[in-house]
Amino acid sequence: MSSSDPVPDAYLAEHVRDALAQDPRLSELHVDITMTSGKVFLTGTVGSEERRAYLTTVVQGVMPDREVVNHTIVESPAGEPDVEKLP
Amino acid sequence: MIRIAATADLHFGPDLAGTIRPHLGGLTERADVLLIAGDVTRVGDPEEAVGLAKELAGLDVPIIAVLGNHDYHSDRQAEIAEVLEESGIRVLERETTTLEVDGSTLGVAGAKGFGGGVIGASGSDFGEPEMKAFIHHTRAIAEGLRRALSELDTEHRVALLHYAPVETTLRGERLEIYPFLGSYLLGEAIDGAGADLILHGHAHRGMERGVTLGGIPVRNVARPVIQRAYNVYCLSSDGSRLTD
Repeated sequence: MSSSDPVPDAYLAEHVRDALAQDPRLSELHVDITMTSGKVFLTGTVGSEERRAYLTTVVQGVMPDREVVNHTIVESPAGEPDVEKLP
Repeated sequence: MIRIAATADLHFGPDLAGTIRPHLGGLTERADVLLIAGDVTRVGDPEEAVGLAKELAGLDVPIIAVLGNHDYHSDRQAEIAEVLEESGIRVLERETTTLEVDGSTLGVAGAKGFGGGVIGASGSDFGEPEMKAFIHHTRAIAEGLRRALSELDTEHRVALLHYAPVETTLRGERLEIYPFLGSYLLGEAIDGAGADLILHGHAHRGMERGVTLGGIPVRNVARPVIQRAYNVYCLSSDGSRLTD
C-alpha cells in the first residue's frame, strides 16, 4: 500500500469511532460502525433522540463523501423492574 | 429482607432532563435503597451531575453510588462526587457506608474498579511505565475494596463497582475488549473479603447474571443490559456470607 492508495474502510471506521467518543455531546462508546458500498451504517442503542440525530451529524462530518445510514435505536427503560430473591 | 434497587450507566446529560424520574415510580415501594454502579454522567461535567441530582431529588430511599469512567472523562470527578454528596447521594471510592432496614444491617463497599482482564488473559505488572501504572491502578482499587469490605460488620455486605469483577457477566461483549471492561483482581479481592452480592455496570453488551469463583452472585446492572430503569435484588434476613 502506498500513501496514494485509498485508506481501508476498517481504518476509517475506527476514525469514526474515535470521533463519537471524543465529541462532548455524544461521548458515545457503544455504537457499531459498518462501512460498505460507500455507506456508513450505524447500529446499537443511544440514550436520547437528540443523541441519535446528532450521531448522524458527527459521522457525516468525519465522512462527508459517504451516505450515513443510522439504524441506532433509543434506549427505553420503561418496563417493570425484575425482582430477584437471592439465597 | 433487604431490597436493593440497582442501576448503572445513566450517562445523564441535559438532553435526558425529565426522562429518568418518570421511570422511578414505585421504587420506594419496591426497594429499601438505590445503588448506582457508575457512569452517572455522559462526559463527566459536574452540571450533568446537578441535573441527575434533580431527577433523583425527593426519592424516599437512601441512594449510594460509585463513579464510572464517563464521570472521570473531564478530570472533574471530585466535583461530581461533591455535587452528588451535597444532594444526599453517598458516593463511595474504596469506602463503606451502612444502613439499617427493619432491624437488618446492610453494608456497602464501593469503588470504581478498573480494567486489566480476566483470569488467563490479564495484563501484567511488567514493562513500560504506562503498563505498570495500568495494573497498579487496578490492584490499588482491588486492595482498597478488600480492605473496605473487611471493615464492614453488618448482616449483609454488598460490593458496588463500575467495572466488572468476573468474566461471566461480560459474555456477549467482544473478547478483545475484556481487558477494558474489568479485572479478575476485583473478584479475587471480594472473594477474599466476602460479600453477599456484587453489583457492577460498564459492560453494555454483557449478561446480567454471573458469579465469582467463590460463589458470590454478580449482577451487571448496566441499563442496556437490564433494559429497565432498575432491577431489585432481595437479600434474605438469614444472610449468605461466604467468608468472614
